[in-house]
Amino acid sequence: MSSFNALMEGFVSALTWSNLAFGLLGTFLGTLVGVLPGIGPALAIALLLPITYTVSPASALIMFAAIYYGAMYGGSTTSILLNTPGESGSVITALEGNKMARRGRAGAALATAAIGSFVAGTIATGVLAFTAPSIADLAIQVGSADYVALMLVAFTTVSSLLGASQVRGFIALSIGLALGLVGADLQSGLTRLTFGSDAAMEGIKTVPVIVAIFALGEALYYASRLKSQGWNVIPMKGKALMTRDDLKRSWKPWIRGTFLGFPLGVVPAGGSEVPTFLSYSIEKKLSKHPEEFGEGAIEGVAGPEAANNANAAGALVPLLALGLPTSATAAVILVAFQTYQIQPGPTLFLTNGDLIWTLIASLFIGNALLLILNLPLVRVWVQLLRIPRPYLFAGIVTFALLGAYAANTSIFDVQVAIVIGIIGFLFRRFGMPITPLILGLILGPNLELQFRRALQISAGDYSTLWATPLSKVLYLVLILALSAPLISRLMKKVRHKATK
Amino acid sequence: MKLPQGGKSELTFVGSLFILGAIIFWETYRIVPPELNLTISPKVFPYAVSILLMLLTFALAIQILRGKIATPEGAEPGKRIEKTDYKTFTLVLASILSFMLLIERAGFVIAASLTFFGITVAFDNKRHLRSAIISTVFITIVYFSFTRFLNVQLPAGIFEGLA
Repeated sequence: MSSFNALMEGFVSALTWSNLAFGLLGTFLGTLVGVLPGIGPALAIALLLPITYTVSPASALIMFAAIYYGAMYGGSTTSILLNTPGESGSVITALEGNKMARRGRAGAALATAAIGSFVAGTIATGVLAFTAPSIADLAIQVGSADYVALMLVAFTTVSSLLGASQVRGFIALSIGLALGLVGADLQSGLTRLTFGSDAAMEGIKTVPVIVAIFALGEALYYASRLKSQGWNVIPMKGKALMTRDDLKRSWKPWIRGTFLGFPLGVVPAGGSEVPTFLSYSIEKKLSKHPEEFGEGAIEGVAGPEAANNANAAGALVPLLALGLPTSATAAVILVAFQTYQIQPGPTLFLTNGDLIWTLIASLFIGNALLLILNLPLVRVWVQLLRIPRPYLFAGIVTFALLGAYAANTSIFDVQVAIVIGIIGFLFRRFGMPITPLILGLILGPNLELQFRRALQISAGDYSTLWATPLSKVLYLVLILALSAPLISRLMKKVRHKATK
Repeated sequence: MKLPQGGKSELTFVGSLFILGAIIFWETYRIVPPELNLTISPKVFPYAVSILLMLLTFALAIQILRGKIATPEGAEPGKRIEKTDYKTFTLVLASILSFMLLIERAGFVIAASLTFFGITVAFDNKRHLRSAIISTVFITIVYFSFTRFLNVQLPAGIFEGLA
């Protein structure tokens, strides 16, 4: 069956009333939670995880896809009107979009962000639909040793490209890996790092960790610096519409952003930070109005927003085809899959083909729904920004605790969540990135499994780890990613000397 | 040697992470793996992670001692790091802890309402009566929508058998 036919069948099953209703609910909830200040897509999905515990896998995944895209749409609204980006991907949107809003051009900024997200999301989902299966076909031949290399590359890029400091990124990663080690080792039955706790035998669950590190960590951090925070919503005049001139200035950045964001989502390049920044600097270079950049240039919203959305769709390729999340959000979606005992990876298209095609189809549908939901109704969402902060944080924290508890009806999970929440606070206070910790926790056990498997096959011969051509290439990439900050520092020094 | 402002507390944090690495190392050393014929011992990974953690925190400690301290999230690099607001922080943490202590004893509605209310107080909401009412009503709605419509089981606690 060709991808196209499979996709059409996906549409057929996604367009049943009940699935459509779940999609609509997802877009609604996603936008709702995404609009709330400081909440990015990863936390939005983590907070909404408990809602899906009792829904069927297909409906739940459709809802997640909708929440995933919805949270991004909602997030850009908040970035523009409130200048509080919920995640690194909307930092640029906040930068330029908020300036536009201050100049009374909030409507145009919101419109270019929403339509740009729609265009990018639709194109990127289309590319996803036709590349993921072929990547999965190739990935079936990927052996354990290659997986080890792949995961090491993902770890390195995420740890060293995000945030300001490579060392801090890797420390965050090691904490995540250590958390992943807790519990009974599946191969030998050996209990590791439980420190005598029976409840810890089953290991540290991912849901409590994710909700806690984002929600509790954020609330505690916010509390610790309450006095210094100001908030002001920029009132929105007129409708979320673009003039002909806005459109003329926007469509090229949309397209460029899409084709920049998608590939950088497919390769583990450390999330949405890199593509959005790249898109911004490209638009700045190509623009006919470079003087407007920093003062509210529409290209500076259109390009990065498109790049951000295309990046999100791109991140689904390694997630679905390899089971390898490359961003915090993708990691949370992986957890959502695992709640249903579905393991994303090369065989996913064979074992759960119908489900995946339904999911991809619903990404298209969700995207269209979101455009309808966001443009005319943007005012409704803006009202949400008027929820007083005390209630907002109270709600976020209670939902996080509810999610941590309800996942397994376990008080131990709540205890874990509280400890992780404090770690999340400390990480924020001391400038440590969060994403490497999450990837370490989720992928660490997998890395160990594949590592042992590879060495069992080779009877303990370590050279098996770099025996295949793919692994050789990957280790080369790894060395490059490790030295990237070093090289850029050297370049700066050279340039500094040259200008002197 | 003079550390920049905020350097001392960061050093304490990084130091405790180093100790965590050491504890993981010791705990791994202590356990006896089962007598199985495994190519790779289940101790290899914990050892690797603990050594990595210790090396990295050591490297970061040196960076801090050289004056390269962290920029808190959302703050400007190089600017003065403002003092932690311990009062608000403690109130929020206490509200979170009360959830843990009460959820299985008093039930979800009471535990969560108290947490919700506690946090609104922590975040400087002056109208306590109003926020107590809002907390209770909101949490009750959440409780019933989860238990009735979503079939997620939450402890009823002292209201057991009532609804």
